[in-house]
Amino acid sequence: MLTIPELMRVLQFGDSVLPVGSFTFSNGLESAVEHGVVHDLTSLRQFVRVAVEQVATSDGIAVLVAFRAARAGDDCRIDEVDHAVFNRKLNEEIRTMTVRMGRKLAEMADRVLGPSAASAWLCRIKEGKTPGCYPIGQALIFASLGLSEQDAFAVHQYGLASMMLAASLRLMKLHYLDAQAILFEINSDAEAAYERVVASSLEDMAAFAPVMDILASAHVQAKVRMFMN
Amino acid sequence: MRVVAPELAPYQDEPKQLPSGALGKNALLRLRFEARRNRSILAFSERRAPLLVQKALYCDEGMPDLPVVFIITNSGGILQGDRYTMEFAAGPDACGHITSQAATKIHEMDANYAGQMQDITLEEGAYLEYLPETVIPFRHSRFHTHTRIRIASTATLLYSEILMGGRQFYGDGELFQFDLFSSTVAAERLDGTKLFIEKFLIEPGRSEPSRLGVMGDFTVFGNVILLTPQEHADAIHGRVAAAWNCEERWAAGVSRLPNNAGLIYKVVGKESNTVRTKVREFWSLVRPQVTGFAVPQEFPWR
Repeated sequence: MLTIPELMRVLQFGDSVLPVGSFTFSNGLESAVEHGVVHDLTSLRQFVRVAVEQVATSDGIAVLVAFRAARAGDDCRIDEVDHAVFNRKLNEEIRTMTVRMGRKLAEMADRVLGPSAASAWLCRIKEGKTPGCYPIGQALIFASLGLSEQDAFAVHQYGLASMMLAASLRLMKLHYLDAQAILFEINSDAEAAYERVVASSLEDMAAFAPVMDILASAHVQAKVRMFMN
Repeated sequence: MRVVAPELAPYQDEPKQLPSGALGKNALLRLRFEARRNRSILAFSERRAPLLVQKALYCDEGMPDLPVVFIITNSGGILQGDRYTMEFAAGPDACGHITSQAATKIHEMDANYAGQMQDITLEEGAYLEYLPETVIPFRHSRFHTHTRIRIASTATLLYSEILMGGRQFYGDGELFQFDLFSSTVAAERLDGTKLFIEKFLIEPGRSEPSRLGVMGDFTVFGNVILLTPQEHADAIHGRVAAAWNCEERWAAGVSRLPNNAGLIYKVVGKESNTVRTKVREFWSLVRPQVTGFAVPQEFPWR
């Protein structure tokens, strides 16, 4: 069980208003609404649930592997995971999102936590040695704070769902309490998702969501946009 | 026996027929294109049943010097316990086109799985089109394929994969009733610098592909990878319209791959013909841009 300081650290670094710019991204939801793929509560719930499930078997694995590398003090392995995430981001806007948020997170950790695995990682990002993907930053911070890999995984999964649902309030006619209800419901999938990937290696990172991929690339060419993806 | 990937762990039982990887199930195909003074040739080929190729044909009216190779199988499709290996190479400045004779049928399975390894190497200035026909995974089939691409920065590879949900019009319609479809494509430079990796893992029993954001209402998925120098990627990117076409019931989008590797074009549709047409349209942008030659009209019988 988490102590009070531990819980408060989880709350701070898992907060949806953490200044890493997540409010500027919709993770493909803006395109999905534009093309009518998402148009009501049911379709929103399903779309966000699929996105969260896909991220568990891809970036979610990276969170766990990077967390363990950070615990072992293995910088080479951390950068290897970072590159593995970057090389799997085949859409340019999604790629931009992960490195922009990753760098912001590293800068924040550098300021707030002082010298840590995350600040060393920030130096390597600045030197161009490693791309700086967001899930790696989350893993490094949680490892530095003495929290568990489950905490890091949970915050990672929560972050995507809360980002998309916050975006949904600005994109659709929706009651804000309905968005909270969906978030609550989707969060209950996270434990099973963790069990599924706990023994996975980097090579196992996989996803399959062609429609989401196509929506993400449609967004790059969209004329009117509120979000950066 | 070594488990190649964790998703194959449930499918390690041996078939009652020939054992996995036995003679007749361990197809091998090695092809190498090389540039000669006037045109490229299929300079080397090695084959082991059930895959075979005959000699290269110069049948492409848009690009008469392009050696065209049809992959033929004498087994009628991919069966449980099959282990295929394919190695394609193109030497400096060589060109080539590889396709299959017909759709690849992955037959119903009740034991083991079918596996395929592909290795594609393109040296400086090479140009290879690998555009096989559609893949149709039957009910309860399990298929694992791994493709490694090694490519020089001046070379171009156009690689497509068109996956159908199943035998759409067989019986009551067989859509996404296979057990497993796992496909990995990993690309790197000749010196080992990694470019990108994409792994699809489709397990309909675990996660329904018809869900929103995955395939939705669509049943056919085309994935086209174009690895090419950045000038070509830039020129082509601007001309591919990402579109969501409700009337014709297809959607497509193009993205820039990481590390300036090239482009990836994805298209989903409800009919294989629609998706094949979109892939062909993309191909028709690529070939003139990279080689200066046109893509010919489709043969009426293909």
